Amino acid sequence: MKNEILENLVSQYTEELYNWAFHKTSSITMAEDLVQESFLAAAENINSFKGDSSAKTWMFSILNHKIIDFYRKKVNQPVRLESEILSTFFDKDGTWQREKRPKDWHEEETHLLDDIDFQIILKKCMDALPEKWSTCVKLKYLSEKKGEEICQEAGISTTNFWQIVHRAKIKLRDCVEDNWFKN
Amino acid sequence: MKKIMHMLFLSCQKATELIEKKLYFRLSFKEKLQLKIHKLMCEACQRYEKQSELLDKGIANAFKNVKLDDSMDGLKRRIVKSLENKNK
Repeated sequence: MKNEILENLVSQYTEELYNWAFHKTSSITMAEDLVQESFLAAAENINSFKGDSSAKTWMFSILNHKIIDFYRKKVNQPVRLESEILSTFFDKDGTWQREKRPKDWHEEETHLLDDIDFQIILKKCMDALPEKWSTCVKLKYLSEKKGEEICQEAGISTTNFWQIVHRAKIKLRDCVEDNWFKN
Repeated sequence: MKKIMHMLFLSCQKATELIEKKLYFRLSFKEKLQLKIHKLMCEACQRYEKQSELLDKGIANAFKNVKLDDSMDGLKRRIVKSLENKNK
């Protein structure tokens, strides 16, 4: 009986849950794992499901908890804040180091964004960032939310959040410039 | 002299920090003014801002272009299987 209910839930809601999880994590594997974990959690708590809410609402609330947990774990992984990174870009007065000063890219914005090579370089440079940094940069595009909410959801303080983004962007920009002009 | 300038109109490090902060949060009036004046005097930070905004657009596009795997059957089967294993 229980199994039948669960199997029904799986066949009815997997796709919607998956789409949502993918939208939130932009990772196929993560989205699949989160959906699977949600159903396992549902199986464990099926007795507590009173039918006050619709099954769909119930499944989505479980999934949302899993997604938030996922980001909380990610962001809380101990990472050196690597303040040394800033000293490779700025001198002790906070002025750009000569060789790290942003160069003129000499390109039209739309032209660059449409350039497939530029897109590939950008993607590579994103992947080269420490995971916590790229998570913070990605969070913005995944959740369509304002900074404050992103921080709350991920359980990090406001200052910490944009300082991480700042370091990530400085490194990302430098990496893109390096690779773009090498070729 | 440089110290005073930095205090009034930010160092490049601080200016780029505000440029990033601005993308997520509202800046105070003082911060906005300081940043504006800093950029008037600093070509490198002007470029940084333009390029940072461009990178943001690039990242946003990258996310839009991700294709979804629309075959759900495999996933459904795996989930049912893991539910069965659990009940054993």
